[in-house]
Amino acid sequence: MSAPASPLRAARAPVVAAYACALVTAVLTFEHPLALAALGVAIIGAGVLAGCGRSLARGALFGLPFALMIALVNPLVAREGLHVVLRLGELGPLGQLDVTRESLVFGAVLGLRALLVVLAGGALLAATVNFDELLHVFRRISVRSALTAALAVRLVPVLGRDARRLADARRCRPDAGPRPNAAERLQIVRAVATGAMDRALDVAATLEVRGYATPTAAGGARRLPDPWSRHDLAFMAAAIALVVLAGGARLLGVAHFDAYPETVIHTGASEWILAAALVLVALLPFADRRGIT
Amino acid sequence: MSRRSRLLAVLCAAAALGGCGVGPGKSPAGPIGLTVTGDFGTRPYLSLPGARVEGADTVMRVLQRNAKVGTRFGGDFVQSINGVAGGHVAGRPVDWFFFVNGIQSKKGASAVDVHGGDRIWWDRRDWGVTPDVPAVVGSFPEPFVHGTGGKRLPVRVECDDPRAGACDVVAKKLIALGVPAGRSTISHSAADNTLRVIVGPWSELRGNDAEAQSLDDGPKASGVFARFDASAQHLDVLDGRGRVVRTLGAATGLVAATSEKKREPVWFVTGTDKAGVDSAAAAFDEKLLHNRFALAIAQGLPMDLPAEVAAG
Repeated sequence: MSAPASPLRAARAPVVAAYACALVTAVLTFEHPLALAALGVAIIGAGVLAGCGRSLARGALFGLPFALMIALVNPLVAREGLHVVLRLGELGPLGQLDVTRESLVFGAVLGLRALLVVLAGGALLAATVNFDELLHVFRRISVRSALTAALAVRLVPVLGRDARRLADARRCRPDAGPRPNAAERLQIVRAVATGAMDRALDVAATLEVRGYATPTAAGGARRLPDPWSRHDLAFMAAAIALVVLAGGARLLGVAHFDAYPETVIHTGASEWILAAALVLVALLPFADRRGIT
Repeated sequence: MSRRSRLLAVLCAAAALGGCGVGPGKSPAGPIGLTVTGDFGTRPYLSLPGARVEGADTVMRVLQRNAKVGTRFGGDFVQSINGVAGGHVAGRPVDWFFFVNGIQSKKGASAVDVHGGDRIWWDRRDWGVTPDVPAVVGSFPEPFVHGTGGKRLPVRVECDDPRAGACDVVAKKLIALGVPAGRSTISHSAADNTLRVIVGPWSELRGNDAEAQSLDDGPKASGVFARFDASAQHLDVLDGRGRVVRTLGAATGLVAATSEKKREPVWFVTGTDKAGVDSAAAAFDEKLLHNRFALAIAQGLPMDLPAEVAAG
């Protein structure tokens, strides 16, 4: 099934990557829950409008355990905060352990940030960017790095297919059950990992035969750059605006958040305006659907 | 009662006995004193006889409730108090250290609970000579009145001559504070859980036990920035960098405290001679000892230990 068309998918790969990176930068800039919530809305909104809501949901399933772990570990390791909610007494090497309201709040903030980074920098980027195009751009900067990355990206599905073939072969054995148990899975993984080097050598030989070893071929024929589309411009502008908004807010002290010793969340008009601006700036480029069918 | 219920009850009881519970816990019964100083107590920054406390607070939380505190390493290490930060000053390492009832804690501030009557003292000091100052005299009458860790400790005044005036003065001052202090001759085997005040001229105290030895070994060993000479007739006064800045002669007294590992502090009320011991006994007083790491008395005049570093 092909991915649904959307303005974000219509933009060139470096612009999509810049847009996702800008969202990640904004997430890492703020600790204020309102700003993070706004960025969460922006990221989910971008995912839905780009037609990759399911990918985002899968990303959330992957990121949620990490987020929860961060949220749970922080109160156990942070020794700060004034409002004790739970006294756990002396816990061996951890010493006196008091869980404070502040450490719980900050743990939740850190967890939310981790989740948003996974969503924006992982799920949204992976679902919307054309990696071939992106690697093509990076080839101009470093041929070897781009080639290595391209090979790695291609080798993963190849190894996945190898694993599936090996699993099918295992099922043909008379003593095999319908699903492999843990030991059998480990055997398959070991077989695939052992074969990875052979696969890599095959790919390297193929590349050499195709002339990738020579600088001219690796550099590729030079061609005129494509003109920027209005989607390129819109998403690039949104990316820049997001970074400027985040940096400006930081410099001006808007959305200031003090985690310790007491949680102080300034929530005035400027914070609400910032939150609205973050959502608006991130989602505005999706409004232009001309040429998207 | 089912087996599971019994197990649950046992676990709950164990948790309660282990200091676990929901909420901030019970506040200390008495007031908590909080003092913040710099340069071995010579530069006062904050003094609160009744600091704000909520529930079963730790030393760190008491400080954070009453001052603006910057921390590092997950909140275990105090970097700054009211904007005065640790780090390096004129190439010397300075940082914040704390004492509870005049005893340096072996744990971090966030792991030490406060108890009613405790006196918490934070001092930002040069630790180039030693980061370990096991005990100080500046929280007097602590640790004699409230002890350590919320427990009063037995107190014994040990004198080279129990009938001497200085011995009497020290013992009576403790008794006046409501401290039941026993009196004896100097023992050579210290009971580890007894607070000892040893009174007498240094020539009689020298080499008696590990604490007396550490005082002779200098500030690195004892945390006391003064040292008697070989004859015990002179006292070398050191500055915060461990340099001798003055040598005091006859009639010099010294009130200092130190402790050896896993032992309660030992206080010395001593001097170069009988006159020195008498002056030290007279200085065994809250007003004179206030916020001092140790005190020397020369010609009847009190002198901070360590001595202040001369400018330049």
